[in-house]
Amino acid sequence: MIEVTGLTKVYGAITAVHDLSFRVEKGEIIGFLGPNGAGKSTTMRILTGFTPPTSGVAKVAGFHIEDQPVEVKRRVGYMPENVPAYTEMLVGAFLRYAAEVKGIARGSVKSEVDRVIRRCGLTDMSNRIIRNLSKGYRQRLGLAQALIGNPPVLILDEPTSGLDPRQIVDIRQVIKELAPEHTVLLSTHILPEVAMVCERVIIINRGHIVAQDTMHNLTGGDTERIEVEATGVTETIVSKLRALEGVTGVETLGNGRYQVMAPRGADLRGAIVAALSSADCGLAGIQLKRRTLEEVFINAVSSDQEMAV
Amino acid sequence: MRSAWSVAKRELSSFFTTPVGYVIVGTYAAISGLGFAASFTEFCAITVNPAEKGYEGVPKLEELLISPYLLFCGQLLMFIGPLITMRLLAEERSRGTIELLLTYPLRDRDIVFGKYGAAMIIVLVLMSIVGVHLAVVGYYTDVEPAVLAFGLLTLFLMSGAFMSLGLFVSAWTRSPVTAGIVTFALWFISYIVGTFGQSLPAAPEIPAQLGVNAARAIAFFWGIFRQLVVELPLDRHAERMAQGIVQPQDIAYYVLFTAFFLFLTFRALESRQWRA
Repeated sequence: MIEVTGLTKVYGAITAVHDLSFRVEKGEIIGFLGPNGAGKSTTMRILTGFTPPTSGVAKVAGFHIEDQPVEVKRRVGYMPENVPAYTEMLVGAFLRYAAEVKGIARGSVKSEVDRVIRRCGLTDMSNRIIRNLSKGYRQRLGLAQALIGNPPVLILDEPTSGLDPRQIVDIRQVIKELAPEHTVLLSTHILPEVAMVCERVIIINRGHIVAQDTMHNLTGGDTERIEVEATGVTETIVSKLRALEGVTGVETLGNGRYQVMAPRGADLRGAIVAALSSADCGLAGIQLKRRTLEEVFINAVSSDQEMAV
Repeated sequence: MRSAWSVAKRELSSFFTTPVGYVIVGTYAAISGLGFAASFTEFCAITVNPAEKGYEGVPKLEELLISPYLLFCGQLLMFIGPLITMRLLAEERSRGTIELLLTYPLRDRDIVFGKYGAAMIIVLVLMSIVGVHLAVVGYYTDVEPAVLAFGLLTLFLMSGAFMSLGLFVSAWTRSPVTAGIVTFALWFISYIVGTFGQSLPAAPEIPAQLGVNAARAIAFFWGIFRQLVVELPLDRHAERMAQGIVQPQDIAYYVLFTAFFLFLTFRALESRQWRA
């Protein structure tokens, strides 16, 4: 649904986005991660046709963003960062305006507005002045206007920023429910959110893609690591661990620490404890190491930084 | 065109749901009303005793009341107009809603005509006030209705030109205040230049030692310059028109002026393609 090749955006002396290439398939929810100023919003603004790229090609739903901008805009629902809105308008009136300019047939405007209002939990709010909405409701309004017209592609720039935990859960639920029929590209700072909502992650830093994979692969793929701290003869311990069923590899890390590799989900901790105690080795510690997205993110971003220095 | 109408409707709803709209319409009504009352009283004083005021015979209503009053209404727009046009595009930028406007499936023409249309509808509201005054004149005198209608058309064309310039300025900045001040400055300078142009001599004095060819060239460019100074200012053409004198070039002037600045507004919107 989204195809980006060699996308570059230069603002004066600053290269905001450099040679970005990625694809998003239909029905995927993609998390767009990166530190502040990494180029997330710039990329999203290019994809929505708000700013043109300096070079490179982007296609959304099969349409070229520069040659057929209106076709692209018809198929994209965009929720900008900080949710700009006509603050003196009523919620309902604003959504009706959005429906009209998105070309919803005159007769269906009301039902379409009612649909997104229900979907985003804005019921009872349609006669409120936007200026008086709380941050959470304003955010929902941003999502609601993006959903109008049921566009196949949704581009959401930090949809949950500044919300309280309860509201975050609500908005995430709405986004998750979009998955089968919609393709969603969302940016965020909140890493656990990505783990909960997205199937695939693109991490960008300083305008470059530094990592791009499924959540599963990024957080260790099919392998699971267990760190064992044991006292005893190294060779004995290693051979005991190797002999365990399911173990695919053992590494010595020094200082009596070992790393045991096993298929994901095997969780051999119990077996390891039993094996070591039967060999009369002392066990000082055992820990199942799952790579969290935080680690992946920090690694990707900081190694990129070092390379740049 | 439906999208353009939606854009215009939204603009109007913002204008009339905030006090700004009512303040602008109210101010225009008050000042144009005062202007009308003053011109009317003056006209009555003259008709009572024309000779005393230096007029031969009964002075013409068109020249002494309608034309000055309509021009006054047009010039009043010089002050009120920037308040209408300054918000049009600049406010979208300052509030960030331009990001919505430019990512909705709208064509540039929907945006430009929508915004311009909204401004012109506000102008029509203001003109309805002038219309009431002219209707009073029409009811109590035997002036031809066509003259009054043409007077209103003059005001409408002149306002249209004002608004197109204001929209253009508004497209270039993110600060409505800047847009308003720049628009006012451009209109006011054009007004002053026009007044000054009246007193320019038809041919400049050229020192004889420059030679015939130089003198001809200077006279040629002076002619163009003088013509520009006299003809370009926005209120110049309205003066003749407001008296009910129909001349195609006056109408063409306003139509072309408006078209030119709407065209430039399109360019300004398109400039996002090459500006950062």
